[in-house]
Amino acid sequence: MGFDPQNFFDSLISAAAYLPRTLELTGIPILLGIILGLFIAVSRVYKIPLIGRFGAVFVVVYQGLPTVVALLLFNLLFMVKFNDISRFFHLGLTVSNVDVIWIGIIVLSLQGAANMSEVFRGAFYAIDHGQYEAAASVGLTTCQTLRRIILPQMLPVALPALTNNIIGLIKNSSIVVAIGITEVLGGASIPASKTYSFLESYIAAALIYWALTALVEYMLQRIERRGHKYRRQLT
Amino acid sequence: MESFFSWDRFFENIPRLLPYLAVTFRIVIYATLAGGSLGLAIAILRSKRQSFLEPVFRLYVSFMRGTPMLVQILIVFFGLPIFLHLLGIEASRWDKIWFLYVAFALNEAAFLSEIFRSAILAVPAGQTEAALSVGMTRWQAYRRIVLPQAAKIGLPSFGSNFVGLFHGTSLAFMIGVVDIMGRAKTIGVSSKHALEAYIFVALVFILLSALLRGGFHLLDRKLSHR
Repeated sequence: MGFDPQNFFDSLISAAAYLPRTLELTGIPILLGIILGLFIAVSRVYKIPLIGRFGAVFVVVYQGLPTVVALLLFNLLFMVKFNDISRFFHLGLTVSNVDVIWIGIIVLSLQGAANMSEVFRGAFYAIDHGQYEAAASVGLTTCQTLRRIILPQMLPVALPALTNNIIGLIKNSSIVVAIGITEVLGGASIPASKTYSFLESYIAAALIYWALTALVEYMLQRIERRGHKYRRQLT
Repeated sequence: MESFFSWDRFFENIPRLLPYLAVTFRIVIYATLAGGSLGLAIAILRSKRQSFLEPVFRLYVSFMRGTPMLVQILIVFFGLPIFLHLLGIEASRWDKIWFLYVAFALNEAAFLSEIFRSAILAVPAGQTEAALSVGMTRWQAYRRIVLPQAAKIGLPSFGSNFVGLFHGTSLAFMIGVVDIMGRAKTIGVSSKHALEAYIFVALVFILLSALLRGGFHLLDRKLSHR
């Protein structure tokens, strides 16, 4: 027992090799989460019938569901039902030739969408009502108001909470090892399966996540500061 | 082929799963108590003035916030026995749940210290000055004036953090502790029908999270209307 630097470096290299997988597992959910989250927030704020309601239920369900539980549930449904669905749609795919990473991406995307929609919804309510009225008074349509007036003011408000959510998604992506997807955490423990140097592996994984989240946080904070500068000029 | 989902199995599983919710609650309560006191201590130490421990706290909080909970659990699970071994304590025979208590408490301490600290700093300095001017000691001013106001300010973030902790406990089965999720997995393995158990666990989590969120929201409303 103890800490073996050699095993640690092996794990670090092995984990770093799987960094693209983690980026894939977080990048797509962040993008989809922002798009879907914005869509849900808009439909809830504008009280679009049916979709708004559905969005509200979706958010309650998904904010209440831990990532692991969602992953295991989706994984099970995928394993059992995918062949039938694929046959029905004539996709010509079976369970064995679909990469499991897609289950992880779907679960994390839905999670991101639920959390981010709440962020955007909060930001919507932070915009002064006079802005809508002013936009309407100069004859802008709802769509134009949203795109030209509301969204540009909303994003700086939403950014700090959005940063938290993005960091949360990066961290949560490690949970996909539960359904056998190999990413940074899984990659780090590959050398350990021979040497039993699990502690070194997990510390290596932690360092990579730490560096990744610190980098993302730094970049988003810079964007945030730029946004503040812009706002100050306006007022 | 047997039916994929059956209500009989679903209801059969409920008494087999529910008792294991106690494990989840125990982790949540112990982690909140231990993490909360440690976090409060760190928050008070950091809010006063820059101590020589400041870089240590910053590194600690940054690590806990920047790395996944699962990785932290695994590090504690594999690292704590080695660390205690150096101190001459044999921890390899401990019940695995103790490692979860330690991991979640350490994590909570970091998150809660940040919540408490920003809440304490959000109380205007004039409040402390006013308390001192009527002859309270520093400690009295802190305990009677600053902390109650800070508690109200920090409540919403504490609430969402608490729900996050509740969700995080579902990772317990990854190191082999049988909580409600772990039990659902073992039922799945032994009966070959995991779906009903998983759906029940999902419903429990959704319901309890919604209740917790609603409870914190009500508490917050009640406190702010005074």
